[in-house]
Amino acid sequence: MSSMISSDLLKPFKLKTKQQELLIRVSILCLVYILAFITRLFSVLRYESMIHEFDPYFNYRTTLYLTQNGFYDFWNWFDSESWYPLGRIIGGTLYPGLMVTAALIYRLLHFLRFAVHIREVCVLTAPFFASNTTLVAYFFGKEIWDSGAGLVAAILIAVCPGYISRSVAGSYDNEGVAIFALLFTFYLFVKAVNTGSLAWGLASAFGYFYMVSAWGGYVFIINLIPLYVLVLLITGRYSMRLYVAYNCMYILGMLLAMQIRFVGFQHVQSGEHMAAMGVFFLMQVFYFLDWVKHMLSDTKLFQAFLKITVTFAVAVGAVALGVGMVSGYISPWTGRFYSLLDPTYAKDHIPIIASVSEHQPTAWSSFMFDFHILLFLFPAGLYFCFKRLSDATIFIVMYGLTSLYFAGVMVRLILVATPAVCLISAIAVSATVKNLTVLLRSKNKVVQTGSTKGTSSGKASSKASLDQSQPFQKNGAMALLFGAFYLLSKYATHCTWVTSEAYSSPSIVLAARGAHGNRVIFDDYREAYFWLRQNTPPDAKVMSWWDYGYQITAMGNRTVIVDNNTWNNTHIATVGRAMSSYEDEAYEIMRSLDVDYVLVVFGGVTGYSSDDINKFLWMVRIGGGVFPVIREPDYLVNGEYRVDKGAAPKMLNCLMYKLSYYRFGELVTEYGRPPGYDRARGVEIGNKDIKLEHLEEAFTTSNWIVRIYKVKPPNNRW
Amino acid sequence: MGRSSSTKDAQALFHSLRSAYAATPVNLKIIDLYVGFAVFTALIQVVYMAIVGSFPFNSFLSGVLSCVGTAVLAVCLRIQVNKENKEFKDLPPERAFADFVLCNLVLHLVIMNFLG
Amino acid sequence: MDKPNPLKIIWAQKQISIGLQPTFWPVSKLTETETPTDRRVLVLLDDFSLKSSHSIFFNSLKSRGFDLEFKLADDPTLSLRRYGQYLYDALILFSPSTERFGGSLDLTAVLDFVDSGHDLIIAVDASASDLIKNIATECGVDFDEDSSAMVIDHKSYAISGTEGDHTLIASDDFIQSDVILGKTKIKAPVIFKGIAHSVNAANNLVLKVLSASPSAYSANPTSELSSPPLLTGSAISLVSVVQARNNARIMITGSLDLFSNRLLRTAVQKAGSPDKYEKSGNEQFVTEISKWVFHERGHLKAVNLKHHKVGETDEPAIYRIKDDLKFSVEIYEWSGESWEPYVADDVQVQFYMMSPYVLKTLSTDGKGLYHASFKVPDVYGVFQFKVDYLRLGYTSLSLSKQIPVRPFRHNEYERFITTAFPYYGASFTTMAGFFIFSILYLYNK
Repeated sequence: MSSMISSDLLKPFKLKTKQQELLIRVSILCLVYILAFITRLFSVLRYESMIHEFDPYFNYRTTLYLTQNGFYDFWNWFDSESWYPLGRIIGGTLYPGLMVTAALIYRLLHFLRFAVHIREVCVLTAPFFASNTTLVAYFFGKEIWDSGAGLVAAILIAVCPGYISRSVAGSYDNEGVAIFALLFTFYLFVKAVNTGSLAWGLASAFGYFYMVSAWGGYVFIINLIPLYVLVLLITGRYSMRLYVAYNCMYILGMLLAMQIRFVGFQHVQSGEHMAAMGVFFLMQVFYFLDWVKHMLSDTKLFQAFLKITVTFAVAVGAVALGVGMVSGYISPWTGRFYSLLDPTYAKDHIPIIASVSEHQPTAWSSFMFDFHILLFLFPAGLYFCFKRLSDATIFIVMYGLTSLYFAGVMVRLILVATPAVCLISAIAVSATVKNLTVLLRSKNKVVQTGSTKGTSSGKASSKASLDQSQPFQKNGAMALLFGAFYLLSKYATHCTWVTSEAYSSPSIVLAARGAHGNRVIFDDYREAYFWLRQNTPPDAKVMSWWDYGYQITAMGNRTVIVDNNTWNNTHIATVGRAMSSYEDEAYEIMRSLDVDYVLVVFGGVTGYSSDDINKFLWMVRIGGGVFPVIREPDYLVNGEYRVDKGAAPKMLNCLMYKLSYYRFGELVTEYGRPPGYDRARGVEIGNKDIKLEHLEEAFTTSNWIVRIYKVKPPNNRW
Repeated sequence: MGRSSSTKDAQALFHSLRSAYAATPVNLKIIDLYVGFAVFTALIQVVYMAIVGSFPFNSFLSGVLSCVGTAVLAVCLRIQVNKENKEFKDLPPERAFADFVLCNLVLHLVIMNFLG
Repeated sequence: MDKPNPLKIIWAQKQISIGLQPTFWPVSKLTETETPTDRRVLVLLDDFSLKSSHSIFFNSLKSRGFDLEFKLADDPTLSLRRYGQYLYDALILFSPSTERFGGSLDLTAVLDFVDSGHDLIIAVDASASDLIKNIATECGVDFDEDSSAMVIDHKSYAISGTEGDHTLIASDDFIQSDVILGKTKIKAPVIFKGIAHSVNAANNLVLKVLSASPSAYSANPTSELSSPPLLTGSAISLVSVVQARNNARIMITGSLDLFSNRLLRTAVQKAGSPDKYEKSGNEQFVTEISKWVFHERGHLKAVNLKHHKVGETDEPAIYRIKDDLKFSVEIYEWSGESWEPYVADDVQVQFYMMSPYVLKTLSTDGKGLYHASFKVPDVYGVFQFKVDYLRLGYTSLSLSKQIPVRPFRHNEYERFITTAFPYYGASFTTMAGFFIFSILYLYNK
């Protein structure tokens, strides 16, 4: 009676298995979506909703301009406030995807009458797109393996530190949107190859367009996909669907990509894009030959035809390529991408690229830090993929292997490898857990079908049959399952800890522990930029090292000489030369550039180690690369870089030294140490009695981190 | 002797190709004609570029790519509609043609923007 | 200082109109309505006997409208400023032997006075103190360190009955400048008795107005020469002027007697020359030079620097490459009473970005308006309109106005390019072909 009533009450809620499954899946995805978003909010909760780092400030400024002035002005924007006096055509030298996306979200929110500030939209764009990436990962996993793998992939990528590092709230940078676009493009392309439909091919072309508009790393897509096609052709796994998918994507994608001003004609002129074109022509020849073979019944004739065509095609292709490269029409691989193939190239030839800390080769500790258990789940996933090779698994294997190679060359590219590693590890986890649970459940089923032999023989055959020779299989499976869940929970803990400790610092606001364990906040950067904004004439020009250019323009609203775009090496070398010269020569250079203020970052009082004195040797190298009068050995003593009494005389009297340590010799920084003790280098400085002739101190922030000097006009009477 | 055998081979090749091709259905032949027309137009433009120079390079690229794009999309349509392809036997030809029209729409819109 | 050096940045001149870059040196004196000529002059003396011994000079100043205030150099009530305002427009230091000024005056105060745009005349003699010599050094002029040395010239001394040690020298080696010394040529030589100074060759703000002859040297007249003198020949400057970057004018001379009534009235005959003049050239010389120092002559102002696109009247905030623009500026010269249009044919304007892309000579309409029109070069960036006008004796005009130049917008190119018509045709043909093909394909039986 009661059971009947309860079943009557529950009848409308009773779901079929399929619907139950759907409910579970949807709820898991919703939770993962929310999780991916909230795990990136540490810095917003701890500090405030602000933009981090350096590059995001430029993106924020351009987004602001876009929302205020509209798209046409943005597309044609010529900025006279950076790279003085050369100016910069911003409209033609940026990837607009991120800015347009944020502006559209902003417009949508305003349309719905949520009056948010564009800065909040910018801060939260990356976490929002990280959540979207988890959804794409689910669909991609479903396409490659099955929906279980998709769910695991979504969970893994939601918290993976390799991805979180560049998509925390506040990190308003191209990668935040680009990784979503990358994975989305790959998913659409794999879907197109699997279905052979023109519509999916068109979708993947649009995905590629979005990726091209978002990040310069699109070169990876346009080289990986042809490589994949080539591998399929060589291994004989090609099919008509591949033809349809690749051709539709390549032609339409290339056309769409050329609409971005910054990319321009690179798809037909740059050596980095030639692989795609080569594979395109190869495909035409290949499928044409296939069609002819299909039409001809006589194989001998066909062999002759094949020989003629192949030699002809190869000859034409080789001649075209040779002529293109020799005449310079097809430009060779640019330094940025060439240094991925030859990691030592940048150090010798392009010091600017070598000086960026994100471009250094990756250490094993970084891999472990960013991937944790995925590092050994990745080979396991590879094994599963090879066991069940299909077009999609070949693709993901290739993506994983190539991206891991590049991640090993440059720390920054761990980000690109993260989706592949997550997907392949998800395959491993899902397949293992599936096998284990089937083992667990099959024992019971075998017991049941043992009693009802006839009807469920069909069902029994589909379940795994237990190997009777191995006892304790069920216990073993249970233990392994618990082990797997334990590892996954450890992974989740590690990821949260890494996010909280390592990747949530805004780097424009520094935090440290005081003597009593209380948290001390150093907000010196913003203090200095707002001082600049409020106390200098509007057309003042500020000279600083290029790291701070974007922040000065965005927050200080003043013209800068060089900034993070680093497009003009000579200009940067001029600034580097000015910083490394004696004060008189530096004054000449500053007068020729109309500099009014000089900004340096100094960490000697707080122990902050990313200051200009630690970056100084790069200034010397970059300046010396263009002006041979600056020689690096002049600043070193026995190959050692010192700032104390034993330092080189040129080091003790160069402009950077003087500006960093002006009046520092009188300051006592640490109890028990003499005055002028530099806490970042750990030594007492060599030259304490510094006199400035052509500059005067304008502002030093409360913790001496940022120091601003004013350039004095030439003497009135001589 | 070798020369005559190779010419005989070529002639035999040519004949067998012609006879095999004659057996294709009419709608596929229409598509082939269309592809041929597109490729021909592309070749004319390349020859013109070789003579005159590539000054408005974006116009040249949009002209050539529009021809190449139509050719490629038509070949994709042919593949999907061809009854001999086992992979596409579940695909209704109307759906294939609808996809084809959609892709062409996008192609021509982008060409219009890129033309200058 | 004859040709303008476009790569050297000179400080903006005294009178600035709205819209130009602000100067760094304070310009407290002038507005559009005031005159550039000094009015109130403070004269510091060692003792008041100078008032009478130099009365001709002082009276000539008074007759030109100057308010002279005489004070002793160690007067304890001396001050140049009160409540932040300067009390005088110019300073005459006729107090060579003063070791320390009285009141609030000292070396720094005098230099600040000059650096704020005011004029200065310094005259010393053999009793020159370190203080005065330091002031002169700070202005770019170095007096002979030997305090007993005087300028001696055995070849071009002034023939006189009384002094036979040839320290009274006559010189006519004037600087060639109508602006500084007036239009009328000074025929009679100027008599000088005092100490030598030299100017730093690297300093291009200082000019030697009256140099010594090649046979002059600086030594102690009473004792024998033990070693060759350091200052000789025309390296010795007898009277120098300095025009500072903010156009303050300083005159420095080693002879206080140059201004004295005695030398002003005496007849002069240069040794070795037959000409005998009734009156020395001193009076004309000091009158003309004081006119120049006190900005009665040679003072220019440039106002209304304007630029606009051809066909418009407003000043745009940004130009585009290959625009045509017109540039104009008005230059006036102070005649002593009013602003007269300045007429010259060598005023140039540069369109400058790290180097001049356009350099044009401005044509004038005779009423002080200078204009030129040119095409913006094919380079984008942040340019400056620079007018650097540096002529000997005139105030330096250094104007610059910053203007960015942008490249073409995406819709400012030619709409239809004739060589591209085949490509347009091909694209439209393909579209038409697509239509025809789809009709044929769909309705094919």
